[in-house]
Amino acid sequence: MNEFLAQFLVESRELVEHATDDLLALEQVPDDRARLDSAFRGFHTLKGAAGIVEFTAMGRAVHAAEDLLEAVRSGEQPVTADLVSNCLACLDQVVRWLDAIDAEGALPIDAEAAAARLVARLASPAGPSLADARAASAAEDPDPPWAGRLRADTAGVVGARIAIRYTPSADCFFRGEDPLGLMSRLPGLLALEIRPLQPWPPLEELDPFAANLVIDALSSASSKEVADHLRPVSDQVRIYALRQDDDPVFPDRAAKVLKAQLALLSAPRGQEMAGRWASAGRVAANVLRHLGMEAEAAVIDAALARSLAAGDPAALLAALEATVNAAPAAAPREGGDDPGRIPSSPQDAIARALRVDIDRIDAIVNLTGELTVVKNALGHAAERARQGTDPEGLAQVLKQQHALLDRLTAELQRSVLAIRVLPLGHLFRRFSRPVRELARTLGKTLRLVIEGETTEADKAVVEALFEPLMHVLRNAVGHGVETAEQRRASGKPETAVIQLRGRRQGEHVVVEVADDGRGIDVVDVRRAAAARHLATTEALAALSDDAVVDLIFAPGFSTVGAVTDVSGRGVGMDAVRSAIERLGGRVAVKSRAGEGTTVRFVLPFTVMMTRVMTVEAAGQVFGVPFDAIVETLQLARDGIVAIGAAEAFVLRGRTVPLISLARALDADTTIATPSVANIVVIETGGQLAALEVDRFGERLDVMLKPMDGLLGGTTLVAGTTLLGDGRVLIVLDPLELLQ
Amino acid sequence: MTVKLENGNILLAGICPADDAEPLLRLVLNNRRAIVDWRACDEAHTAVIQILLAAKPELLGPPANPFLNRRIAPLIGDRRSGAHSSD
Amino acid sequence: MAETASKRILVIDDASLVRLYYRDALERAGFEVAEALNGLEALEKLLVFPADLLIVDINMPKMDGLTFLRTLRRQDPAISATPALVISTESGPQDIEATHAAGANFYLAKPLAQDVLVAYVAMLSGAPA
Repeated sequence: MNEFLAQFLVESRELVEHATDDLLALEQVPDDRARLDSAFRGFHTLKGAAGIVEFTAMGRAVHAAEDLLEAVRSGEQPVTADLVSNCLACLDQVVRWLDAIDAEGALPIDAEAAAARLVARLASPAGPSLADARAASAAEDPDPPWAGRLRADTAGVVGARIAIRYTPSADCFFRGEDPLGLMSRLPGLLALEIRPLQPWPPLEELDPFAANLVIDALSSASSKEVADHLRPVSDQVRIYALRQDDDPVFPDRAAKVLKAQLALLSAPRGQEMAGRWASAGRVAANVLRHLGMEAEAAVIDAALARSLAAGDPAALLAALEATVNAAPAAAPREGGDDPGRIPSSPQDAIARALRVDIDRIDAIVNLTGELTVVKNALGHAAERARQGTDPEGLAQVLKQQHALLDRLTAELQRSVLAIRVLPLGHLFRRFSRPVRELARTLGKTLRLVIEGETTEADKAVVEALFEPLMHVLRNAVGHGVETAEQRRASGKPETAVIQLRGRRQGEHVVVEVADDGRGIDVVDVRRAAAARHLATTEALAALSDDAVVDLIFAPGFSTVGAVTDVSGRGVGMDAVRSAIERLGGRVAVKSRAGEGTTVRFVLPFTVMMTRVMTVEAAGQVFGVPFDAIVETLQLARDGIVAIGAAEAFVLRGRTVPLISLARALDADTTIATPSVANIVVIETGGQLAALEVDRFGERLDVMLKPMDGLLGGTTLVAGTTLLGDGRVLIVLDPLELLQ
Repeated sequence: MTVKLENGNILLAGICPADDAEPLLRLVLNNRRAIVDWRACDEAHTAVIQILLAAKPELLGPPANPFLNRRIAPLIGDRRSGAHSSD
Repeated sequence: MAETASKRILVIDDASLVRLYYRDALERAGFEVAEALNGLEALEKLLVFPADLLIVDINMPKMDGLTFLRTLRRQDPAISATPALVISTESGPQDIEATHAAGANFYLAKPLAQDVLVAYVAMLSGAPA
């Protein structure tokens, strides 16, 4: 994937995100002009981007949405839920296309058909008419009505390539703009039509300071020239490259191909020359035949034959040049395929893909400086040790430097992790659409309120939170929130509110999903728990209400069918809890029947991921830090030699000590040893060693609590974590293992 | 002065900025039958042109500025301007 | 138009999805399509499938697109003059120059919309408009 395409993908995704925000906000506040304009600009820029990569299907689809929003801007269309849904559907399709390009480097096969369907859907928000859908897929897009009308009105005008509709905003005079002045200087201006935007009022009521015009124009210049000229007012202008019905002598594409053949003919001679010239001649003749220029094609054929006979491309070159230059429109022209965009100027550039705070980088730079100081001090100390002077003083210095090093490495780790932090807003925004869609599907009226978007958390935590939060939100919408009638009946406001909140609390990040729905009925949970035999009735009676509610996280709870209607929340909550605990956090629920429910996640702010390979020994799963692993192999038992109480084997000329993991952990060693040993070779501190295990596992990224586990520990175990199947994974410290 | 009343005609002369729009409108309102003489008009801001488009007064031309002559005059129905050049 | 038979297109690309994408677009537009996974296969195929146009990818195993083109242009006149269209992800000016130097007649960058593909294939193969 080339850089350009990668950039296109990044920018397009951001544009989609912004446009989604705007559309959702617009739905809540339909007369928010700023949001409307922003959404329009978003689609407009997406269209431009699509044009650059010649992704015409996407350009077409986005263009249709842009037209729709334009109609809203000019007052022809109101903002309706359907309209917003349709525009969102367009964005969904764009995302699917972007994913396809990301994965395959090319459009999916049905891109054109999908675009046609979108165009049909967006053209008639009430629903696509079959005729429209067929027409859209059968032929290329017709010119938009205003451009078509303009062309018809100016039938005698020849050479029009670009149609422009300029709707100056009412207050443009106050910004010092002079729309007609700008248009008077438009390159290639061929025709101009001016109409009032709103019908002229009686003269006494005319506001001389407000612009009330719609300016349509035709130009023979290239879309780039027009776009550049109109850049200062790009948000008030639509530019459209007209379909060329009566092409000049050579349409752009044909001209490009013919010119390319000229280049082939002028290439240096070599063994391939005959093939090259002949193919160039054939292509030129093909292009001419394709255009229906049979006579010219015959001329090329003849010239080719002459060239081949003479072994010299001159004849063919001359004939081709003559053909290409015969057209008066051989002047340099733009690719006529681009759908009429205004490229965004640098200051419009949407945010870059990766954002790293300069300050955080500086912090790390400072730390490396301080570490160097410690290094030097240790060097001095080593020298003193060698000289044997003052052992007491030396011990003091070493202790000091060690403490310093301890502090610095902790800071370094924090600083590095700080680069990995993301604002929670990224995560929270992903839920707006799904919550909206689900609410609509279930016929619930609700609002998702997001707070604390700027709260930051480690990238790994933010990413891992998505599934659990999605789950909890789905439960809230599906079960927590009552229908509008139910809410009215209980005296609650019709529109339910779900709050998604994030905040930092010391070394933790707290995320809450709070709804004002029906809450969890403790009595029902008690009953259900008893029915499921999660605890005896007496034990249950002894539990506080809060403790009972916590039972929804119990594994047995969620697997029961009938219960799901009662608590709803029970579904999958055990999976949520184990996912959160794997992250090193915890989750709890607070609820009041009839008032609502709050699910609260507490997560560590910094986490460290370690990549391990899992192995099994004596029925226990262990993790071996990946970085320490040199290789894995299987060795016949007779290749292992006993050396005193220990064992070893030879690997590429080196003797490697072998430890049976099962035995090292004092596991049951009465099980017969297999004839082939599974061995993991590790290296730490320059030494090789090997572990015999029962089974090799897989590669896994796990979260360990920072610092204490890896650097402070003196035990064999670096840390533990929970596997997906609920088993505990013990991560080994290879260094300790070798002692 | 780029817009003024002279001998019963409203005169647009030189480069007429956006500020001329209001005076022009007032003059037109108070002198409905007056002819707008823009023969000496070198340039006119959109705001000024807008008044002409809305009021559609009788014009005395052709205006000095070719853009005004070729593109704007026909929209106001200038009957007494010079011949239109073909595109 | 003299020609009524379908124009024959040989698609040379190691990615099956890409070949499928082109095949789908081209067959629907009335072309006859054959496929090859790399330059070597393509040369073999050309012995039995006289193509009106080749669509060539650059990055392929066994024999990449540029090597293929250079080899192609040295063959028998029956094959060496076959028009060749390169469709590739490399799109710097040197890349384009290199493809022309190797003997490609035209170059297009991925991703490519189906209508653009069909338009160029029609032109380069001499199919009616």
